[in-house]
Amino acid sequence: MRIAIDILLGIGVFFILVGVLGVNRMPDVFGRLQASTCIATMGTISVVLAGILYAVSNGGETVTYVKLAVLLLLVMGTNPISNHALCKAAYKMGVKPARELVIDDYKEDDPE
Amino acid sequence: MQKPSSKFLAWLSAFIFCFLFWLLLTWSVAPRELILGGVVSAIVAAFSGRFLIHHQAFYLYNPVRLIVLIFYCAIIFLWEVIKANFAMAKLVLSPRLKYEAGILRIPASDKVQSEYGLAMVSNCITLTPGTITVDVAEDEGGKNYYYVHWIDVAETDRDKAGEAIKGRMERWIGRIWK
Repeated sequence: MRIAIDILLGIGVFFILVGVLGVNRMPDVFGRLQASTCIATMGTISVVLAGILYAVSNGGETVTYVKLAVLLLLVMGTNPISNHALCKAAYKMGVKPARELVIDDYKEDDPE
Repeated sequence: MQKPSSKFLAWLSAFIFCFLFWLLLTWSVAPRELILGGVVSAIVAAFSGRFLIHHQAFYLYNPVRLIVLIFYCAIIFLWEVIKANFAMAKLVLSPRLKYEAGILRIPASDKVQSEYGLAMVSNCITLTPGTITVDVAEDEGGKNYYYVHWIDVAETDRDKAGEAIKGRMERWIGRIWK
């Protein structure tokens, strides 16, 4: 059990590191948003799962892991909404991507 | 458009949802907590019922749909997220940082055209690293399209790209929402 918890925590920390590195290395807003999704998905999922396992194996109360699960739900539910909003706002503000987009249907159609 | 009875059903459905969420958060059945939760849920449901529920108030309170929803979140969606995360890690950790980004217009499948279905598919697309839904738009014929920012465009044909990005997720969501 202890080993499983450590492995899950390791995976979580690794993907959070990848997300942070991505935010630093990507050249423009869109790439940074993409890389930051790593933190919110694999990072949070693994760390919360490790927390639940820890609570179960050490005889924590039910309320502990129910709250951890609700925490996971809230993070996973709210993260994509802020990502949509940031990405759309950046595009509408006229932020230029660092490299020319290969294909840009949004500009051609321009809804609204 | 809305009859009084359907308004009440919308309120009731939102009330049950809020109350279940309250129970999850507090995790106690002391009478004081239950009464306070009931009052708060009733007020919240009165304000949010007409935004949350449009038609068929008890659509999701169906054991088959709930089981499919849980199975989808725990297996299908998790697998897609893990695959996309490893692809993203490979991209970020490679020394050259070589990628070709683009925004594609991807048609939504005919089965998933309701507002809930569209919202859930676009949220799932955004949650997999490497793709972000920028916008959802409707054309004159009433067909919906997602505009997806893809960090590493492997396929410029819209239908094939759509299959690669959301094919399996959309098929499973089609079993939950219309």
